[in-house]
Amino acid sequence: MTARERRTRILQMLQLVPILSVLVILFGGALVMALLQSLGFAPWFGINTFPDFSYFGSLWGSKIFWVSLWLTLYYATVSTFLALVFGTMLALALIKAFPGKWLYKYVYKLPLMIPYTVGIALAVIMLSSGGVLSRFAAFAGLIDDPGQFPQILKTHYGWGIIAVYVWKQTPFITLAVYAVLLGIGRETEEAAAILGARRGAIFFRVTLPQILPGIVSSTLICFAFNVGAFEAPFILGGGFPDTLPVVAWRYFNDADYTLQLQGMATVVSIGIVAGVILFAYLWVYRRYERRMGRH
Amino acid sequence: MARRNDTLSMRLSPFQKIYLLLVAGFIVGPFLPVIVQSLAFRWAWPELLPGTWWLEQREKSMLPLAWDYVLSPYSRVWEATVNTVFIGLVVTAICLAICLPVARLLARESFPGKSAFEFFLSLPLIVPEAAIGIALLMIFIRLGLAGSYAGIIIAHLIPTIPYMVRMLAAVYQGLGREFEEQAMILGARPLQILWRVTLPMLLPGVVAGALFTFLVSTNIFLLTFFLGQGQVITLPTLLFSKISGGNLDTTAAGITLIVTLPGIILLIISERFIKEEAFGKGFGS
Repeated sequence: MTARERRTRILQMLQLVPILSVLVILFGGALVMALLQSLGFAPWFGINTFPDFSYFGSLWGSKIFWVSLWLTLYYATVSTFLALVFGTMLALALIKAFPGKWLYKYVYKLPLMIPYTVGIALAVIMLSSGGVLSRFAAFAGLIDDPGQFPQILKTHYGWGIIAVYVWKQTPFITLAVYAVLLGIGRETEEAAAILGARRGAIFFRVTLPQILPGIVSSTLICFAFNVGAFEAPFILGGGFPDTLPVVAWRYFNDADYTLQLQGMATVVSIGIVAGVILFAYLWVYRRYERRMGRH
Repeated sequence: MARRNDTLSMRLSPFQKIYLLLVAGFIVGPFLPVIVQSLAFRWAWPELLPGTWWLEQREKSMLPLAWDYVLSPYSRVWEATVNTVFIGLVVTAICLAICLPVARLLARESFPGKSAFEFFLSLPLIVPEAAIGIALLMIFIRLGLAGSYAGIIIAHLIPTIPYMVRMLAAVYQGLGREFEEQAMILGARPLQILWRVTLPMLLPGVVAGALFTFLVSTNIFLLTFFLGQGQVITLPTLLFSKISGGNLDTTAAGITLIVTLPGIILLIISERFIKEEAFGKGFGS
């Protein structure tokens, strides 16, 4: 390597410094600090028992933690799956030509552009016991008191939470799948149709394998977001036992500040669970890709 | 043969027509009752439309009602809007400045550890926000950054960087280096090349990336709420505080509509700049 080349290389590395410092120091640093604290390192509270697994022990030892974990994963999985099905169906319809398509392409992206809190407000006005659906039910003569309307929000079934996630994430998955569909064109589907494949076979054996990269990357992002989301379960959830992010937040704001370490153990647990699931998902996907001979 | 033509046709099947209408209804429909609610004075169950409208009572009331309240300083809507836009603009500017060189390197050069670096760049998208938020808050409290604009702006960089780098790298890939080389041969200095050749050619992509970053930043709730500590309010956190009780009264309905407005404006602007293809890139592969 000549001196000139070395200088270029050093210049290149210097350009990476700002991003690396944000990501390594803040993002990485936050995760490392969370891990240290969850293991009993908090000298500013006068607590330093590192390494101390008792915070994880008492967290994982309680039954409530596992209920919270189950709720968190249940909301995240069901809503990601529904958004995937609805989004893929929408993308398949959007590649066709139809009148008013330009306007539709504005309309379906609206949820992408606005905060989750707006979606929560919509869920409240539609689904609460005094909400629009309840009024329609009364109009149809099905109920004559708001109390008779089946409770949709604030239950552990989480219909309200799932509705908000699906509302917000269907456009996201649609966009990802639609982009891939535009890229692959329709030749392979046409070939399959000419060879006599049925519609179902064309979708599952020709189209789906090709849009899989878009599906995997968008569902990864949605699932990870849903696991770590706070506002929807906080407002629309069924209360105790809460989802893990809400549990962590409650520990963190407790008057007893030593509970903050328990909160950190919760935070680290969220990270571990999400990490294990996402890496398993990617691993299965990579294996599939290799079997298809694509990598 | 009819079946085959149907499969291949570029027209919608009847099922798809109904499906498109249902999805549009699901997405836009719930806004109708919010608009009605924001204009209502009294909307008792089980009325389908309010019994008394806001305008009817407006003259008689001593206190500001619904929209009068939303647009008054008491609701803090204006303060939240200014904060949201200010934070969004600063985040976009910083993000652009630090992502441009990295995007160029990723698109054009190869260096040791490049694929690991790319994977690391997309990690913030798949680490749950609550984990980052609470862990950062712990650090920011020690540093005195909790509840400050600086703290929130720095935190907003974490989820915006991955998108910005991807979008800019895609633009650099489409842009050959011949033009820059020509300018160099003709004796232009590096800064001149950047300012007069590279940036103008990158402009559409830069605008798209900037719009998207601004959009992501203005939509962030959790990081602002955790790290703002109630001292810095933005539109999403203001709305959260209004509906956290699980009710949507008339003023909350009005604020919901106000919070939706920037998104609609961005939607109309960005449709021209943000290409759908930008979202089709694989993840970490």
